[in-house]
Amino acid sequence: MSDALILVALLLVAATATAAVAQRDPARQALVLSVLGVFLAVLFTVLQAPDVGLSQLAVGAALTPLLIMLSVRKIRRRRRDRDGAR
Amino acid sequence: MNGWILAATVELGGGGAAALWGVTTGPTARRVVAQNLTTAALCPALLLLAQGYGRPAYVDLALLLALLGPVGTLVFARLLHEDLEGRRPSAWGLTYAVAGVGAAVVIALCAVTGPGRAMVKLLVIGALLIGGNLIASRALSGGFRGVLGG
Repeated sequence: MSDALILVALLLVAATATAAVAQRDPARQALVLSVLGVFLAVLFTVLQAPDVGLSQLAVGAALTPLLIMLSVRKIRRRRRDRDGAR
Repeated sequence: MNGWILAATVELGGGGAAALWGVTTGPTARRVVAQNLTTAALCPALLLLAQGYGRPAYVDLALLLALLGPVGTLVFARLLHEDLEGRRPSAWGLTYAVAGVGAAVVIALCAVTGPGRAMVKLLVIGALLIGGNLIASRALSGGFRGVLGG
């Protein structure tokens, strides 16, 4: 019966990963990615690998979105500056 | 398979599916709210899993999620403030409902654990979860000028 839990976690991870690829806007992609990080951590816990889940949680929930959002902001700013200079 | 794991499965399936739907559709403002609610929905599931597997060490995952989830949401609130301006996204009914579920799970686990260090840890996780979630929701709905002012 524990298979049901693994199945639910796997389905959630697969659906979220597909959704992350399908998004067009990088900011929205970062949002879906942070949710995907949490789901992956739960999947690792269900598969009895909580150490991997811990590092996945630290990287996926806060670090990856921060990096992506910082780069998105920098690119937007640079583009705005260039448009303003014209 | 025991009752705890069954409850965790229900929580994971229901909360996860709702979060996935919320974060992939609609305007950006609503997506950020859904991302915030993911933390609050899945942290109790992790607690239930730790109890279901009979491994208290798994509680650390829930502790880390309760700490880092609101941090992630605050990152989005700070860096997406252009998209959020004028919208002030909030879903207070849902926020309090999810916080209530988290509190119920923590109280149930405390009743099973009994007094001791483990119970203190559970209470800390519950306080972090609910407090962090309320702070993040408030930041998203424009409660803190410093956060959205960017």
